[in-house]
Amino acid sequence: MELKILFFTSATCSWCPFIEQVLERIVKEAPHLELEIIDITNDISRAEEMEIVAIPTIILPNNQRIIGAADETFIREQLDFYLIMG
Amino acid sequence: MNISTGIKELDYMIDGGLRTGQCYAIKGTAGAGKTVLSLFMTLGALKQNIPVLFISTEVEPSKIIDYVKSFGMDFDGYIKKGLLAVDKITLKPQGVNLVQTDKFDLSAIIARTKAKMASIKAKLVVFDSISAFIAEFQYEKTARSGFMDFIREITKEDAVLILTAESQVSEEHATLEEFLVDGVIKIRTELISNQLVKRISVPKLRSAQPISFENRFIINKDGIMILRAENPPTIFIKEEKTGIDRLDELLGGGIPAGSVILIEIDGETNYFPLFLTTLFHQLKKNKGVIIHSNVHMHSARILEEFERVECDISSHLNEGNLVFIDKYNRTVTAVEAREISQLMTTDDMVSVTVELMEAFTRTEQKSVIYGDLTDDVNILSETDFLRYFALQSFNVKEKRAVAYSFINHNAISREILARLRTTADIIIRFSRVNYTNYIECMKSSTGATFLPKVVKFRSKYPLVEIIG
Repeated sequence: MELKILFFTSATCSWCPFIEQVLERIVKEAPHLELEIIDITNDISRAEEMEIVAIPTIILPNNQRIIGAADETFIREQLDFYLIMG
Repeated sequence: MNISTGIKELDYMIDGGLRTGQCYAIKGTAGAGKTVLSLFMTLGALKQNIPVLFISTEVEPSKIIDYVKSFGMDFDGYIKKGLLAVDKITLKPQGVNLVQTDKFDLSAIIARTKAKMASIKAKLVVFDSISAFIAEFQYEKTARSGFMDFIREITKEDAVLILTAESQVSEEHATLEEFLVDGVIKIRTELISNQLVKRISVPKLRSAQPISFENRFIINKDGIMILRAENPPTIFIKEEKTGIDRLDELLGGGIPAGSVILIEIDGETNYFPLFLTTLFHQLKKNKGVIIHSNVHMHSARILEEFERVECDISSHLNEGNLVFIDKYNRTVTAVEAREISQLMTTDDMVSVTVELMEAFTRTEQKSVIYGDLTDDVNILSETDFLRYFALQSFNVKEKRAVAYSFINHNAISREILARLRTTADIIIRFSRVNYTNYIECMKSSTGATFLPKVVKFRSKYPLVEIIG
């Protein structure tokens, strides 16, 4: 089963590069997770499809959304269930 | 570009229509008709073939399309023509769990809205409602500041943005939306003899003259109706004239004898043309004019101004028809008239004025009193001033005279202004916005009120001309 994390980012988002690093690190540690980074500046159709309002938004495989930037611990906490699976 | 709202009276209230590049808020309590009004404005634009993007935060697009059918609007047809797009934006789509932090921006809805706008070339964007949208956020402050970017970005596209916002019943002060937007259209509901009466006003309008009246706002199955608060005169009055023909006409032929007229001005407006025109008219009609001199309205200046506009008042001065009462013991020169120049208490002022009025009555002349109250309010104590004003007004009524009281409404407190307004029979507001002067009548003992009309100044008598 492929577990995908969607990460919506934009050119104006100042917290996004940090979150991106964190997510990439997490995915590296857990190979069963896949990360898709969508920059809405280039591709608005995915944001439209997923009804994205705020940036950054992280969509977890269970359709739970994290809206807004947070630190690594917080993101890991939210991803807890999927990390244990690995 | 100006976009008509499709409602004639509303266009008038917002100075001709919605301006592109500006953002307007429709405010009102629940059930006031904000959404209905925004839908009618949408229809108004569509009828002029102006593409509209309607964003709802509460209702599904299909429900809106169904709903407007009850008002006889065919949104489906406009959607097929590519003139209209109805969209729903929500933070929490169905079946989604949210975890929120306070570090985010709204660039996603900005980009989504811009893309939608581009696809139909929308010139009008309706966002219904900002209150419901903001309420979805756990960190409302961040959402609000993010929304400022939304307003900025959307209006930058040379489009009109209309927001609807819920106002609380107890709301006294302006909320954030009111500071952000260029215009506020407010709908107020009140219960009058068991009937819900709706009133519409425009408390804020950037770069134009806002209408300071509340008009009746009626929604029925035929649509929206706005009834103007301007009352045509009910009685024809012949007794006294202001000397400005159009003003007399608007007031119902003239003013009743025994009227106290309050002329409210802001600090920037020069009221002298209005003052001199009416004053000269009174003198021409051989009336006795009493002027309570003060800093602005002092004898030397008045004489100079009359000379400048080439109105000869020397004969009136010689006959003693024009009397200056100098309140604050300032030396008055250049006046060859009856002068009473001594430091006076308010009681002295009142008795001197009465004596003069009586003297005029003896020579069968009607008296007219002029005064600028602004300084009096600030120099005298509140009780002294109100007592003085009440006594003068009483005497004016008793002697069937007319009093013109000028007041700078920006320089005095709200409470005093409210009390003056209660006492006054006629309230005329004289204001200036963007180098255009306006005159309006807010209260009249005869029931004749009128909305702001443009005033033009001329260099020769009559110095003022009312247009419209």
